[in-house]
Amino acid sequence: MTTTDTQISSPNKMAAPDNLLEVNGLKKHFPIVKGVFSAAQGNVKAVDDVSFHIRKGETVGLVGESGCGKTTVGRCIVRAYPVTDGTMRYRMRDDSVIDLAAVPEKELSPFRRDIRMIFQDPYSSLNPRMTIFEAVSEVLRVNNLCSPSEMQDRVSSLLRRVGLRPEYMQRYPHAFSGGERQRIVVARALITNPRLVVCDEAVSALDVSIRAQILNLLEELQADFDLTYLFISHDLSVIRHICDRVVVMYVGKVVEVADALDLYSRPRHPYTEALLSAVPLADPRGREQRKHIHLQGEIADPANPPQGCYFHPRCKFAQQICREQTPELRVLDKKRQVACHFAEAIQLNGVIS
Amino acid sequence: MFKRKPADSPRTETEDLRFEVASQLQLTWWKFRKHKLAMFSAVIVILLYLTAAFGEFIAPYGGITTNSKFVHAPPQTLHLFSEDGFGLHVYGYTMERDPRTLERIWTVDSSAKIPVGLFVRGEPYKMWGLIPGDLHLIGPKNPGDPFFLLGTDRIGRDVFSRIVHSARISLTVGLVGIALTFILGILIGGISGLVGGRLDDAIQRLIEILISIPTLPFWLALAAMVPITWSSLQTYFMISIILTLLSWMGLARVVRSKFLALRNEDFVLAAKLDGCSNWRLITSHMLPSFMSHIIASVTLSIPGMIIGETALSFLGLGLRPPIVSWGVMLQDAQRISAIANYPWLLTPAAAIFITVLSMNFLGDGLRDAADPYQS
Amino acid sequence: MNSQNLLMDVKDLRIFFFTDEGVVKAVNGVNMQIYRGRTLCLVGESGCGKSVACRAFLNIIRSPGRIVTGEMKYYRQTNGSMADVVDIAKLDPRGKQIRQIRGKEISMIFQEPMTSLSMMHTIGDQIIETILLHNKVTKAEARKRAIEMLDRVGMPKPDRIVDEYPFRLSGGMRQRAMIAMALSCNPSLLIADEPTTALDVTTQAQIVDLIRDLQKQFNMSVLYITHDLGVVAEVADDVAVMYLGKIVEFGDVEIIFHHPKHPYTQALLRSIPKISREREELDPIQGMVPSPFRRPTGCQFHPRCTQAMEKCRQIEPRITQVGENHAVQCLLYETL
Repeated sequence: MTTTDTQISSPNKMAAPDNLLEVNGLKKHFPIVKGVFSAAQGNVKAVDDVSFHIRKGETVGLVGESGCGKTTVGRCIVRAYPVTDGTMRYRMRDDSVIDLAAVPEKELSPFRRDIRMIFQDPYSSLNPRMTIFEAVSEVLRVNNLCSPSEMQDRVSSLLRRVGLRPEYMQRYPHAFSGGERQRIVVARALITNPRLVVCDEAVSALDVSIRAQILNLLEELQADFDLTYLFISHDLSVIRHICDRVVVMYVGKVVEVADALDLYSRPRHPYTEALLSAVPLADPRGREQRKHIHLQGEIADPANPPQGCYFHPRCKFAQQICREQTPELRVLDKKRQVACHFAEAIQLNGVIS
Repeated sequence: MFKRKPADSPRTETEDLRFEVASQLQLTWWKFRKHKLAMFSAVIVILLYLTAAFGEFIAPYGGITTNSKFVHAPPQTLHLFSEDGFGLHVYGYTMERDPRTLERIWTVDSSAKIPVGLFVRGEPYKMWGLIPGDLHLIGPKNPGDPFFLLGTDRIGRDVFSRIVHSARISLTVGLVGIALTFILGILIGGISGLVGGRLDDAIQRLIEILISIPTLPFWLALAAMVPITWSSLQTYFMISIILTLLSWMGLARVVRSKFLALRNEDFVLAAKLDGCSNWRLITSHMLPSFMSHIIASVTLSIPGMIIGETALSFLGLGLRPPIVSWGVMLQDAQRISAIANYPWLLTPAAAIFITVLSMNFLGDGLRDAADPYQS
Repeated sequence: MNSQNLLMDVKDLRIFFFTDEGVVKAVNGVNMQIYRGRTLCLVGESGCGKSVACRAFLNIIRSPGRIVTGEMKYYRQTNGSMADVVDIAKLDPRGKQIRQIRGKEISMIFQEPMTSLSMMHTIGDQIIETILLHNKVTKAEARKRAIEMLDRVGMPKPDRIVDEYPFRLSGGMRQRAMIAMALSCNPSLLIADEPTTALDVTTQAQIVDLIRDLQKQFNMSVLYITHDLGVVAEVADDVAVMYLGKIVEFGDVEIIFHHPKHPYTQALLRSIPKISREREELDPIQGMVPSPFRRPTGCQFHPRCTQAMEKCRQIEPRITQVGENHAVQCLLYETL
């Protein structure tokens, strides 16, 4: 993608003044390489035309099952790799707007401080050969963000804030439990005072009782540090608890965007309805009446998705148009977007009355 | 609003802090300690290298000292006790002449007692060619007495002394090769693993071709090309290089697979998102992860080189006199008549066997201990 | 809940692991009952010992672990009403008797369908092998049964799948194949060790429904191990809550969810996010699971318990029956 100065930083290029991040038409394709000489044969369309926005201070949930591309979206936003197509407009502290997708690799440093990631697995996201002090302060060291004497204090106070004892700074990760390690990962993400934090399945690998601790911690920190979260997860109970708005993805595309309560009370896309009905509720009363919607067939293959609407082979409302035309993500009412040809016509059930 | 819950209380103060603050090195050491065989082998290997370092002191004679009188003398057993009480001693020789060949035949004579001492004065030497001395670890109390623990060869050289002196050569020829293997292996394996794509494919195919080349004929061919006129030191380094040419592939493959695996680890991505340059990623984040594997891999390839050098020298194509190595010594054991009549000429093979075996156990132990985070 | 319906009666089961670092008391005095035709959910967090406990039922505990003491009385109903009782804990793990039970009367399905099915054999071969091991039938008959089983577990095109290799199937389909294999000999007890943890939520719903359907069809008991309280609410008839090798509360599913007595159960229920109209605050359990080598004295939960009393630090609670189908191990309910 060629860039010009005007494209990279031009004010007022965002749809709304309180948006922190606007993702438009995001695409990320991974080539499939086969053969003795690594010839590319087709693409896995992990992310295939994704658009959504995040307002400053809110928590947006990105939910979907395996192969939906939610993790890839998160990694695109932090520029773990270059994107194939699309824009990711980000509002800087001075209110100017920059397209993260267009920034060259060498100039990413300032954004690496502002946008940070919390990883899923506390056992593989910390280098076992580094002390937690070294791990947490690495970003400060690499970018010369503060002097060595300040580093100690900064790490110390942040560790205390996330609930760990600063005296344990010189210990190695193997000395800590899963929950403690995840706190270290949170500290590492926040050490640069970021504005946007991408939480990639941040609590999925933790025990049930620890999950609550970390979720509470994330909520407190959001209030204290004025953070904005993109919360990626497959766990719909956690998403309901922590998110203000939810983006539902299926095989690389967005199928529905809505406020959390609206989505869970009244989904407008058949996939969302099936997804919600499948979530096990922690109450045995009335379970005979709660029927899970069983989708026939398997989740579509992102390397070879169906024609038209990706969901049509499994959808009980599918018509001819669904087999031919891929539905656009369109605005249904003030805060709702759906990608379905028949969104207005169908009546779907939610899980909150 | 949200209540602040007390933090997880990490382990109590009364706990053993050693484990917590132990670095990767300490954990590796603790795990290695549990491997009894490897520990024992480590001791043997250390002793072998000490022998190599202080050969002049440990051996009773020089490596090329001949004694035209005592040709093909059999080994003298070391005894502790005799009728006179405690005292190190060996038994002397009697000579007979073979009626047909008129050769001298020596046999051990239990009537002649030769007292033996520790830290005795004997043949003068220059340690490492620099420091003069004449103190020997073990030797006859009377400097002129014969003291051949493993017998002598066809020109009267003490086999035991030569084995000790050979250690220096045989054990270090491997080390020079190792250093080269280390550099080549990490460089090529690293590039292959990190860059990936076509370059990786090309390198892997090259490695596969090289691995298919039979090593011994290859070494022989190259060794035969080394000019006779070269000095022993030049020959020594050339042989080291020849041995390395076909041994870096194993390490390169290990390094490549480790890099490939690590590339996808979350902590490497986290470091990249911190803003680390590729160089820093490799040196500070990835390499330390598998340095111990590399060390183990490298230790396991030393025996191959030792045997390689032995094979070459045995066939007359490696090191040549006046350098003495175990392979050179075994040249004397090439004839059936030699082995049948003077079996002590085979003892260098025992030295090789012990060295290779202990290196293998040590390497195994290092490899098992290399990842202290695996159960 | 009369003893006529008892299938498995576990008393004071203890399984210890003798490692270099010390003895890990993975299962430390477990008591539970599995009734015919009912599903018992064994729920707990990581390190509580539930996976180890379920492997005891088939006597497949691997060294350095062993069953140290306790009994697992299995009431086999051969024919008629007279039940034949076998103590599985006492059987030789490599002996003939336990091998007759494994796969035929008690089967097991595992969490990772990727690693639990052999990649070198077709689905059909694996099911047929199980059938032939326990039944004197011809290979053709076994194959017919295998296809029938695959159909019953909802596998699409079972006559084609029977000749497929596992790597060609999705996670959900592999799990169905594993269930088909486990049920091929009509067992009395199916042990499911976290069968849906590795699956997507829509697939999980299908598998959970499938297991419930098959339980009714085959009239068998199910021992379902999970850490997900939502799944427990959906499948369980009885629930056993496990913490650090002990069952702290056991009872009917409705009672456990709506009238839990043990502080751990109560805290667990309070700490999970629920889908509801109001966003409720999460109440986490303070502290963390102690290391197996440094377990607390007295009641093992006391350092994290909001209702801990002084004596909880010294006295280990015994099992108290607080209802017809409700037992707790807590000093709050012990009447001396």
